[in-house]
Amino acid sequence: MNDAYDGYGFDWSSIPGALPLLAKGLSITFEVTVTAIVVGIIWGTLLAVARLSKSKLLSTAAAGYVNLFRSVPLVMVILWFYLIVPQLLKSVFGEGIADIRLASALCAFALFEAAYYSEIIRAGIQSVSRGQASAALALGLTPGQTMRLVILPQAFRNMLPLLLTQAIILFQDTSLVYVIGLSDFFGTAYKVGDRDGRLVELLLFAGAVYFVFCFSASQIVRHLQRRFVK
Amino acid sequence: MISIRQVSKSYGSFQVLSDCSTEIKKGEVIVVCGPSGSGKSTLIKCVNGLEPFQSGEIIVDGISVGDPRTKLSTLRARVGMVFQHFELFPHMTIVDNLTLAQVKVLGRSRDEAAEKGLKLLERVGLKAHANKHPGALSGGQQQRVAIARALSMDPIAMLFDEPTSALDPEMINEVLDVMVELANEGMTMMCVTHEMGFARKVAHRVIFMDQGRIVEDAPKDDFFGQPRSERAQQFLSKILHH
Repeated sequence: MNDAYDGYGFDWSSIPGALPLLAKGLSITFEVTVTAIVVGIIWGTLLAVARLSKSKLLSTAAAGYVNLFRSVPLVMVILWFYLIVPQLLKSVFGEGIADIRLASALCAFALFEAAYYSEIIRAGIQSVSRGQASAALALGLTPGQTMRLVILPQAFRNMLPLLLTQAIILFQDTSLVYVIGLSDFFGTAYKVGDRDGRLVELLLFAGAVYFVFCFSASQIVRHLQRRFVK
Repeated sequence: MISIRQVSKSYGSFQVLSDCSTEIKKGEVIVVCGPSGSGKSTLIKCVNGLEPFQSGEIIVDGISVGDPRTKLSTLRARVGMVFQHFELFPHMTIVDNLTLAQVKVLGRSRDEAAEKGLKLLERVGLKAHANKHPGALSGGQQQRVAIARALSMDPIAMLFDEPTSALDPEMINEVLDVMVELANEGMTMMCVTHEMGFARKVAHRVIFMDQGRIVEDAPKDDFFGQPRSERAQQFLSKILHH
């Protein structure tokens, strides 16, 4: 009888051997998550500032971008990018691009998340009182310096719990890259389970791992929230 | 030093300022008063271009505020302003509040700026609080820091927009004391305030505004002795006798 047999009819024996593969998948998951957070926040901040700018052209363009990405399912965006970006990347970098699936997933997530981050950051900017901008301008800071040095730091601080919550959702959403066959953590678990005929065990295991990461992260968010919101 | 000439401003059909003119000489202390909604805060914010105006002109030290070619940030760096709600930057320490614009706008070194900032904090009696955040200070202390922050830019004039009206009564004097000291040192000051005691003590002239107009612009003694307009008489009797 199998050592890993636990009496409920599950067979966990294929997991230990698959750990290196699963770890590689997890690193892809983190790569997509971190890239999307970093690029999403930077691009999202620019979008938020553009949307609040006095220029009609800038604010309309930013609003259009945000509304477009917020009105289509993420799965579809991932597929679009898989179909469009490879051609684009090939034409820019030549045929030497290593992993077309990863590249298009990174682009799709970064651009998609930017739309959500920009809404959070816009709310953050609007949560800072107008008097703060007046005070900064009255000291002779330029409008750009006022935004960068006075408004945005406070906006980020006010919105920190929401930014982190969005990051947790993003971490879960990266599992959608299975539609383009990219082996992230979820995709790898699925493939291993399928290969060994142990799909249920692998998916339960994957679910437990997602739960541990997301639950600990959300506990950290709660802790931060208590510290910042007095 | 500050010339306000026929300045008018409206939000849509609502006239906020109509045809306001006055002249402020170097070293003069002007108190601007009037009922709420009379346009006094708007007028003072026009002086450093925080509020745009549609007609007339304001000249500060030879520079036209309304001229689109004027670099407003350069002008504002030379005119200090203190706000009703202090507006210290809550994410920075007190000393960083004082050094930020010195470094970013005037190009002073961090050390030079910090030295200047600490000297000014000492002057307003708050040097011990240099490394705290604004939230740890009382309203009166925050407002004194705000005055020190404005002074750190070596301004040629100071604008005060109701500096004591958000303060608890027992904190008003500590802020007024700093302002009196500043006035006695010869700083050019334009103060929107209802503190008539302050006006009596240090103002050279009092400007009384009502419904966007300068109704009265008189030397202090004339204003308190025999206000010419009925509106100013009513206003004075209301705030002085109760």
